[in-house]
Amino acid sequence: MKPLNILVIDDESSICRACHLVLTEKGHQVEHCMTGKKGLLAIERGLHDVVLLDIKLPDMDGLDILKVIRQKKPGPCLIVMTGYATMPTALQAMKLGATDFLSKPFTDDELVACIQNACPSE
Amino acid sequence: MVTKYKNYLHAIREMIQQLSPAILEKHSLDSLQEVLNVVVTKFAEILDAKGALIRILNEDTNKFEVRAAYGLGKNYLYKGPVNPEKVLPNSTNLNKVYIVTDIWDSPRVEYPKEAWNEGIRMMIDVPISICNQAVGMIRIYHTEPREFSDIEQDFILAVAEQFACVIQRIKRMENQQVQFNYLATRMEKMSSLGRMAAGIAHEINNPLAGILLYSSNLIKKVPPGSVLEEGINIIIQETQRCKTIIQGLLEFARDKEPEKTVSNINEIIEIALGIVDNEFRCQHVHIEKNLAEDMVNTFLDQNQIEQVFINLLLNALEAVDNNGRVSIRSAADQARKCVRVEITDNGCGISPEHVKHIFEPFFSTKTNGTGLGLSVSYGIIKNHQGDIRVFSEPGDGARFTVELPILAENDEGKKTP
Repeated sequence: MKPLNILVIDDESSICRACHLVLTEKGHQVEHCMTGKKGLLAIERGLHDVVLLDIKLPDMDGLDILKVIRQKKPGPCLIVMTGYATMPTALQAMKLGATDFLSKPFTDDELVACIQNACPSE
Repeated sequence: MVTKYKNYLHAIREMIQQLSPAILEKHSLDSLQEVLNVVVTKFAEILDAKGALIRILNEDTNKFEVRAAYGLGKNYLYKGPVNPEKVLPNSTNLNKVYIVTDIWDSPRVEYPKEAWNEGIRMMIDVPISICNQAVGMIRIYHTEPREFSDIEQDFILAVAEQFACVIQRIKRMENQQVQFNYLATRMEKMSSLGRMAAGIAHEINNPLAGILLYSSNLIKKVPPGSVLEEGINIIIQETQRCKTIIQGLLEFARDKEPEKTVSNINEIIEIALGIVDNEFRCQHVHIEKNLAEDMVNTFLDQNQIEQVFINLLLNALEAVDNNGRVSIRSAADQARKCVRVEITDNGCGISPEHVKHIFEPFFSTKTNGTGLGLSVSYGIIKNHQGDIRVFSEPGDGARFTVELPILAENDEGKKTP
């Protein structure tokens, strides 16, 4: 698969670092932010192919970030990550335009597969 | 005699007048005490006695305890509870008044010395019974022995009979209140545990995500046969196990509204049986199925109810040994407008102490149990405005009953929140 430009927004540093490790090993470019505001700024600045977004952030609701990202054209693929593995939250995220959903905790293979499904190689 | 007769009618009327507010209007739990006070006072006054006393059976201690007294000294009253067998032996006719004149030698008198010192020379015992069971006794005390006419004895018995009805009614009210309080507390406890569980689940899933990502990544870098391999695999498996537990926890915490459709509960039972069939076969446990032919459709969430039956069936399977018996039966109770499903096993049974906590989250007697199956089931049934109960004794199997109201699609608006 071609290298992707991936942004991880999560307030847990271990998750950010782990995603960074797993995805860079697959040849992707990975950047991470630990607050919603920094995440929005990064999205404004860069051109990302995929955003991995935690739905519960200390400063903002992840679903609000999702709405902002959806307005961006061309928008990145959006994968929502959450510790609340409940269907209503997942449904809401999908309705707001998320491409896929990862419920924490997940393995490296699940993460890679999810990104592959979200951005199939052209 | 004629004068007395008129007096007694008057006395009964007066007693009823005094008792009415307590029984009919207040409906409060203090009303039993008010009734008791009126009865002892009036008995003593009308019969021109020194005093009167009411003992009521305490069901916990199986002793008659003084609940109201009039005209008696503290020395006598402080003698404490008495055994029902002593004052009302089994042979006692509960519809008869007993007159004791021999204070010192009567087996009915538990504290003769104190009674004598109180100036008591004669006692009249009136059993109070409900459904032919003694629930208490009225004792009337006289300082001088005297004759008691049949009319007087009839009067005493008539008042005691009415009084027994009052006690029964008030006890029923008390029981309802106790039951209500118990259920209200339990609901509150479950709901706060649920909220807490959701918070914990989120907090734990985050660190688990870090552990699982690193460990699943690390295992690929370990050469096959390395000493690290086993350890990392265990970390991965155990983290996955935590994930499963937490998912169960979130299921419980989530106040998920059932997605109801018109369903036949027999069909849901068949699906659940199909899912657990293999497990039962492996353990050579036979399931006896007895489904009502006249089952009516009702409005419920098939997936959720199926989950409840699977839980109950697997619990039953765990409770029985190889070659044990589990039965499932369904019935439509038109009179109570509900459908009922019973799952019974002949397994090890449940102790009363465990029965009390069985629907609480994290309560488990299994070594590998999460303690969430039954609490999730409980939540599901309550969300259907239904009821789930357990009946069991250690060593004598267990029976779980699930009752769900018979609802049509358009009844949904009437449900209680």
